[in-house]
Amino acid sequence: MPVSRASSVDSVPLPPPGAQRFDTVCQFCIVGCGYKVFKWPVGRDGSPEAQGNALGVDYTRPLPPLGEWISTAMHSVVTDKDARRYNVVIVPDKGCVVNEGLASVRGGGLAQTLFAPDRATKARLSQPLVAQGRGHAPIGWDAAVDLGARVIKAVVDRWGPDAVGMKFFDHGGGGGGFEANWAVGRFFFSGVGTRTASIHNRPAYNSEVHAAGDAGVAALTNAYVDAELADTIVLVGSNAYETQTNYFLVHMVPNLNGSTLARKRETFAGEAVEPARIIIVDPRRTMTVATAEAAATPERVLHLQIEPGADIALLNAIGRVILERRWYDVGFIGDRTEGQTFEAYQRSTLAVDRPLADVVGEAARIAGVSPAQIHQAAEWIAAPKGDQSRRRTLFHYEKGLIWGLKNYENVAALVDLALLTGNIGKPGTGCSRMGGHQEGYVRPVYPGGRPALNVDEAIRRGEVKAFWVGGCNPVLTTLRAEAMETALKERGAVVQSALDRTAGRPVGERVARIVDALKLGGMFVLAQDIYMTATAHYAHLVLPAAQWGEVNLTSINGERRLRLYQRFMDPPGEAIPDWEIMARFGRRLRALYLEDNNPQMANRFLDFTWKSDEDVFIHARYQFKGDGSDPIEGYAGVTYDLLRRLGTNGIQTPTRIVNRVPVPTVRVHEDGRFFTPSGRARFIPAPQPWPGYAAKVVAQRTQFPFWVNNGRTNHIWQTLYHHQHVPFYAEHNPMPHLEMHPADAARLGIASGDLVELSNDVGRVRAMASITDAVKRGHTFMLFGQPRGATGDLVSDHVDPATTIPYYKGVWAAIRRIGPQPEIQRTVSFLPQNVAR
Amino acid sequence: MPTRRDFLKLGSVGVAGLVAAPPAAPGAADAAETPRYPLLTIAPLKDIGAGAAISFAYPDRHSPAMLLRLTAPAVGGVGPNQEIVAYSTLCTHKGCPVAFKPERKMLICPCHWSTFDPAKAGTLVIGQASQHLPQIELRVDNGLVQAVGVAGLIYGRHTNIV
Ligand code: SF4
Ligand code: FES
Repeated sequence: MPVSRASSVDSVPLPPPGAQRFDTVCQFCIVGCGYKVFKWPVGRDGSPEAQGNALGVDYTRPLPPLGEWISTAMHSVVTDKDARRYNVVIVPDKGCVVNEGLASVRGGGLAQTLFAPDRATKARLSQPLVAQGRGHAPIGWDAAVDLGARVIKAVVDRWGPDAVGMKFFDHGGGGGGFEANWAVGRFFFSGVGTRTASIHNRPAYNSEVHAAGDAGVAALTNAYVDAELADTIVLVGSNAYETQTNYFLVHMVPNLNGSTLARKRETFAGEAVEPARIIIVDPRRTMTVATAEAAATPERVLHLQIEPGADIALLNAIGRVILERRWYDVGFIGDRTEGQTFEAYQRSTLAVDRPLADVVGEAARIAGVSPAQIHQAAEWIAAPKGDQSRRRTLFHYEKGLIWGLKNYENVAALVDLALLTGNIGKPGTGCSRMGGHQEGYVRPVYPGGRPALNVDEAIRRGEVKAFWVGGCNPVLTTLRAEAMETALKERGAVVQSALDRTAGRPVGERVARIVDALKLGGMFVLAQDIYMTATAHYAHLVLPAAQWGEVNLTSINGERRLRLYQRFMDPPGEAIPDWEIMARFGRRLRALYLEDNNPQMANRFLDFTWKSDEDVFIHARYQFKGDGSDPIEGYAGVTYDLLRRLGTNGIQTPTRIVNRVPVPTVRVHEDGRFFTPSGRARFIPAPQPWPGYAAKVVAQRTQFPFWVNNGRTNHIWQTLYHHQHVPFYAEHNPMPHLEMHPADAARLGIASGDLVELSNDVGRVRAMASITDAVKRGHTFMLFGQPRGATGDLVSDHVDPATTIPYYKGVWAAIRRIGPQPEIQRTVSFLPQNVAR
Repeated sequence: MPTRRDFLKLGSVGVAGLVAAPPAAPGAADAAETPRYPLLTIAPLKDIGAGAAISFAYPDRHSPAMLLRLTAPAVGGVGPNQEIVAYSTLCTHKGCPVAFKPERKMLICPCHWSTFDPAKAGTLVIGQASQHLPQIELRVDNGLVQAVGVAGLIYGRHTNIV
């Protein structure tokens, strides 16, 4: 295997002045960087003089650093339905306030993800398919929709709506958008009426931040500019350099290195300002820690390298120090919070009945940090500044906390700290999740309760008769993924034989035989996706969706910035937008119910008459009032026209209508109001010192020596659904890497690049070893969703009973060496990935 | 045009002759004009000692590059042990100058901390560049180490030969 040559080309064509131009936003992470798209027919290139190309840049001489350079990854050639070939160049937009012209490793390769008949992305799904024998055969949209809708109807009529299960994206950006999400919600909730719903890799349909919601605090409170203004930034379970890259590079780093001092002085006239400090709570010494130290000098970086599950103990102890030192915000707590919850919080969470030294000492032991570090963290978060003014601290948290020991209390402990120190709703402050993918959630209310029901278990128990998977790949990423795969395989096989026996027969007969199969424990599977995923292989109907760039879509980023991601090319073959797939099924179900003289059910599928993506966008908007009462994604008054005018900077939601014009919300809670009936925030108890491991986790920990932390990395987006087709990314991770401490590796005789096997009571999976001191002894870290080895196969079915959120990070396993992999060792770099100097 | 994929397929030894061969006609109409690279003698092989790091410019004087003698065979390397390699030193993220850190065995960019592995054809180790570091194709001719081509687009250019 040669080392990647996506970059082996030594020239790129320049867009001519007449090239078509589109505004878009990166399809990948939450940051939502602005990009410009240029498209023009092959053979009509621009020239290097400034007036000869659409960027207006003089390329006759090499650009100075930080110029508007087009890397070879930013260009590709696509073929539209007119059979003409077009050059497409996608470059970061220097006019966008989010990224200021910077691309990350993922965004820089956006052009490589486009469908092209002569590159590996030709693997895109381009026709509706029906399972046939061992494979799939084209079926055509009308027949696919007819068959699928008849099966859904039969299931609902016989077993009730909950027998229709779904696992769907709820993303913004490439994986969804307001339009797709609204159509999906209308279909499953308003139409079918099922409660057996779940969100992408999760077993249930639920918020990941219920505790913040119960506290009345939004999931995304601050603006990115607050990271430029904060005195202290706190990152808990977030590897920002790698996974929220340009938020970190463009907004945090300049604060760490002092380049925002002038801006701080101007914003906070008369207040003491200095370069920011940063506290990073992470069991690994990540590239975020290394780059923060390079930017800020090590004395201003506090890395708390905690043991798994110790977040609650650590955060509560920090809170206790703050209480004891009287650094908490009396005014904020009195004016903005429900007083009795603060009283209860001091007892339940801060352990005021125990001596401070005991509390801090115990937390330090649990967390594997020193008491001095806990005191230092408290000081950096809340000690008054030199001029006695209140410190402005920005709190961020992500999967390390959300998918940690106990989802509800983990998030509660951090939100409580922000409330205790009054750090919400003011410039330079905030308490927000960092986010993974972008957000585009707008749906009718989920009909199920809380905690939401566990769909994976309903499938295993045979209660789901039709299972529809959209834009996600549970065979890789759900918990106990192998059990999911077995269920799809075995329950699917029963339906498969009914399909095979009735090939070529009228649809009524086929559906009758399928229903017989469902009675025998079968499950009919529909997969709606852009590639033939590991999950789609088991589907009886495969529905090809259009992707980012092939549809217009809208989404918000981590500071709630709403933009229009413009369509600039055709989808492959017969692929159509997700909203249109739902609409086709909705219309067909309505017709089938009308034929069946069931107007009541027919009327549940009334509104699938949208003609365009904007129709869906406007339809979903009706629920927003624009009077300050909307949820944070509320986009009252916004139209595609407005968004087209606002380009890559868009408008921050929720919008309020003032003089008939939508105005943005820069920070949520800046008006002092919280999302509770009283309008005051609530402290949510997070029992001290910590809840400890659940019995199932204890059993696994006792039996297996290595903690397998897992997650996303810099190079690789989600399950590599695109990146496995782009050599630059695929060759970085031809298989998942497993970070191991040198001492552990030496003991097991493992070298970087060796093939290793991880196994535990749930399953087994293989990886390539990567020896690094980024992890402590006994800790490892594995890339989470690689098709050739996914940690889902090791994750137990333990969930936080309060929220049905799994403890994805809570995996323990045994590791053994299988052998060397000479080709991988020759071509893949195993230099440390946490070095910045 | 010769891609680095071809280059690597041919192996890390038989470099001479590859670039000397006339460049293939562009396979697709969308490829811009194929650059023709000059021949540049960097240094006599015998003068390139262990740990050498020699700055030079290639393919023109505006394109800083660095020749490194590593401690082990490298992908695309020349010399007795295939341990001599050379790269453009303009970071393929945004063009800041990368520096070689011998103790780290990597090239590091100070701007946004992209790091590159000189033993693995300039592969991005971690960071925000969307291309690997362009590798200068080398050959040894009559005891002289010479630059004969570049695999990968150099930062700041739309074509390597401007
Ligand atoms: S930081 Fe995120 S949104 Fe920005 S370019 Fe990178 S992947 Fe895309
Ligand atoms: S310019 Fe080198 S990492 Fe950005």
